[in-house]
Amino acid sequence: MLTITVRSLKYACLLLSIAAPIVGCTRPPTGSASGSNSGGSVQISSGAGRRVKICLLPKKKGLAYFSSCNDGAEQAAKELGDVDLIYDGPSDGAPEKAASLIETWTLKGVDAIAVSPNDPGVLAPAMKAARAKGVNVLTWDADGQPDSRAFFVNQATSQQIGAALVDTMAKDLGGAQPSGKVAIVTATLTAANQNEWIAAMKEELKKYPQIELVTIKPCNEDQSVAFQVTQDLMKTYPDLRGVFGISSVSFPGAAEAVKQAGKTGQVLVTGLSTPNNMKPYVMDGTVKSVVLWNTQDLGYLTIYAAEAIATGKLKAGATTFTAGRLGAKKVQGDNILLGDILIFTKDNIGKYDF
Amino acid sequence: MTTPIIDAEAVTVTKSRSGWAHRLTLPTRQECVLLGLLIGTLLLAGRLSPDFLTSRSQLELSTHVWELALLAIPMTLIILTAGIDLSVGSTMALCAVVFGIAVHAGLPPLVAALLSLLVGGGAGALNGIFVAKLRVHPLIVTLATLAAYRGIAEGISLGRPFSGFSDSFTFLGQGSILGFPVPGIVFLIVLAVAAVMIGGTPLGLSLSAIGFNETAARYSGLAVARIKLLLYTSSGLAAGMAALLFVARRNTAKADIGTGMELDVITAVVLGGTSIFGGRGRLFGTVLGVLLIHEVREFVSWQWNRDELNLVVVGTLLILSVLADSLLSPKKR
Amino acid sequence: MNDSATEATSSAGGTPNRAVSTVLHRLASQREYAVLALLIGTLGVVGAFNPSFLSGGNLRDMLVQDAPIVIAACGLTFVVLLGEIDISIGSSMGLLATALGLLCSPSHSALPVWIAVALTLLLGTSIGFLNGLMVTFGRMPSIIVTLGMLTVLSGVNLLLMNGKWITDLPQGLRYLGVGTLLHVPICLWAAAAAVICAVLLARETPLGRRIYAAGSNPDAARMAGLSVWKLKLFAFTLTGFLTAVATIVSVPRLSVIESGVGQGFELLVVTCVVVGGASISGGRGSVIGSALAALLLGLVRPMLIFLRLGVSATYWERAIEGAFILLAVLADHLARRTRKEPHR
Repeated sequence: MLTITVRSLKYACLLLSIAAPIVGCTRPPTGSASGSNSGGSVQISSGAGRRVKICLLPKKKGLAYFSSCNDGAEQAAKELGDVDLIYDGPSDGAPEKAASLIETWTLKGVDAIAVSPNDPGVLAPAMKAARAKGVNVLTWDADGQPDSRAFFVNQATSQQIGAALVDTMAKDLGGAQPSGKVAIVTATLTAANQNEWIAAMKEELKKYPQIELVTIKPCNEDQSVAFQVTQDLMKTYPDLRGVFGISSVSFPGAAEAVKQAGKTGQVLVTGLSTPNNMKPYVMDGTVKSVVLWNTQDLGYLTIYAAEAIATGKLKAGATTFTAGRLGAKKVQGDNILLGDILIFTKDNIGKYDF
Repeated sequence: MTTPIIDAEAVTVTKSRSGWAHRLTLPTRQECVLLGLLIGTLLLAGRLSPDFLTSRSQLELSTHVWELALLAIPMTLIILTAGIDLSVGSTMALCAVVFGIAVHAGLPPLVAALLSLLVGGGAGALNGIFVAKLRVHPLIVTLATLAAYRGIAEGISLGRPFSGFSDSFTFLGQGSILGFPVPGIVFLIVLAVAAVMIGGTPLGLSLSAIGFNETAARYSGLAVARIKLLLYTSSGLAAGMAALLFVARRNTAKADIGTGMELDVITAVVLGGTSIFGGRGRLFGTVLGVLLIHEVREFVSWQWNRDELNLVVVGTLLILSVLADSLLSPKKR
Repeated sequence: MNDSATEATSSAGGTPNRAVSTVLHRLASQREYAVLALLIGTLGVVGAFNPSFLSGGNLRDMLVQDAPIVIAACGLTFVVLLGEIDISIGSSMGLLATALGLLCSPSHSALPVWIAVALTLLLGTSIGFLNGLMVTFGRMPSIIVTLGMLTVLSGVNLLLMNGKWITDLPQGLRYLGVGTLLHVPICLWAAAAAVICAVLLARETPLGRRIYAAGSNPDAARMAGLSVWKLKLFAFTLTGFLTAVATIVSVPRLSVIESGVGQGFELLVVTCVVVGGASISGGRGSVIGSALAALLLGLVRPMLIFLRLGVSATYWERAIEGAFILLAVLADHLARRTRKEPHR
């Protein structure tokens, strides 16, 4: 027994002695507060004034959509010069982890946090707490609860997205009275944004009485499940005319299923995706139209807005706002408008690279 | 089947650590490894980012870990009996959704909370019945209920979120008493109860005995089935409590909360030195394991802003700490 | 053990009466048959509601979807037979998919497809080998090793991919996913080959018998001179290799390799192996059982669509899946209980 104690103490000492030099080695150079920070460090440079620390929170890190937004954000940070940009988010997309990140950033004392809320409800307490502590909170990509943020960088509201999806499908189906059975392949059953879009789509579908929404299936953010679900939908509803793939994972999965079933042109697929991911399907006709906006511009505008809010250049009540290369953007209430939703088709998709 | 070797192991371990009191007081080898790592992490954090180590930061950040810590207590006891409960995250979701529906149906929060704890206990008890009475392997049972409980949560909520709970309820998750977060107090109470049950009653020894050799434990007159039923039920209850803390903190009840929680909890428990084969493990080690995972995670995201890095670091930590323990231990065979 | 033992009695059994009772006995006792019965029953019921469920095309599509699970389960069955487990399969698949994509996509390494495939197989085998090394030489519990690897590999995968999906897969690679050989999709050939090899390995080779022996009683096996560690190292390496095979034949079926490939795959495979009758503590289980369980669990999602149950049924999908698992386990359990056989 005694030997065990002595031995354990020895191990403890050994480990401590290993740990100590590691800590010693990584001592940062004096002067700057932190060394190897990827873009988000506290640096007070002598002449240029205070640097603005902006955090960009995606719904899920690792999605190509958000990476391309981040490309634009980085470009804006570079142009602005005084911005330290942090891009981080939960790699599994869990909203509670995003909330934890907001709390950590608040504690670190950043100037602005731009949130794409995966779940407005779960994130609201953390966003409100951040605001109460003086952090400028804005939302981008998707809106949060109105009292949880100062501004919303609005590329499209849920209503607009839902309407655009349905209108695009109706246009692609063609005819004065577009008709047929359609189905939705969504991300997960609990995905807050997707559920808002679906609600808006159902509303918009009332305009087209001949279009029948037969079912809504989740793909659990798994492309191969989206593929299988679409296959099964086509078999169960042989007269299916359209499939909405309303997440960046379900869209290519659904399109691939239609293509492999040889139903290109017969079953139309549409949804939200960056043009680069869907180019092959648009070129071969499986997908007639892809609905989205310019993601790089969205990231770019978000950082410009965050910087302007943090430095006091943009205040509540403003009606326009100038964002670098994008020029003057309209501000409507607390919404900073990016511009129209883009529809990528065979004719214009080649012009976009993101 | 494999009883001879388990017997032999049980004998050697009990011999080498015969006194029950010693098991309570002396840190084990794994715990020393963990303490070393924890101190190392904190020293490193203190060097790189002094703000991280302030009591204010630590108290604020601690709110991220209480649910995990709470679930780790019954999980330790279950793993001590060579069992496992994979359904805790799903049970959390089920309890949260039941609470949300109950409140929105007009029940007072207190009644809804009790109902949700009841559902948690019931879900745990169902696991327990399968494991203890029908004697199906706990991994299989809870793998099934992992899918089933979340499925029921999705089914009864139809994927909708429930929010807008009263301030008196959200105090449970967001408030603090004398500067200490309320969920932390809940955790400490549960920990104290568990520690007294384990240390102050014969239950602790019974758990290890079941873990070492269930057949022997049964023949020596232990009510194995009843003990197991109790454990799984308490795991479900803890999931219910964790769900309430979560809902109170985030003010939202939804069927997707606690996804993947079970693996986090198990990681913390085995990191804390509890043998996955049962028989060996302590609550103290689990507390250390939870603390280490928490500090490492928070520090990595504080310092490097890369969520992916966190995965790599936590996984490596788990493997290395257990490897260190295994390499430092005298050769068994 | 169980398998070969019952087989021996049935072939040795003299009178037809005894043969009949052996058959009944097996029907009641083996999880494979419970699973098979459930599988056939479900096919029949759903087919009665919607005959197109039983059409050749649909059966093929369902098999294609199950193929990667079956392939990985062939490897995992041996690991579980030895009383170990591997839950790193899902992350491993994600990392292998990314590696495969990066190696042969024209905008990245642009290597010839066969080299990329070979390297991916090598990487998968090495991951399995590394798991095996840590379990045998590191003397660590496999669940911890592979739980750690599950987290580490998914982190590495995300770092490697860096948020950019791989969309330009070369045609040669896509062929492995969408192509057919003699009108049968390539992944089905791979799955069939994996199952046949695994069954032969388990039943006909000394190696297989050793694995059953070592799994049911490691100490007796050790005393009889078997190197159990070698068997474990082999089983983990095989699982790694087969995970790579599963990745190669399933991932190119889709045109985009994204960051979420393989997520949750490990739970599916583990579920199939245990539902298929393998005992978690080792020694009992069969490749066929695991494969049948994969087919059974693969029915749940399509079934709900073909039954046209409407939107609200979708919300109960996971609950039904859980119920299926419990049902398979319970059926087997009850059969066992009537004969008072010890479980596990």
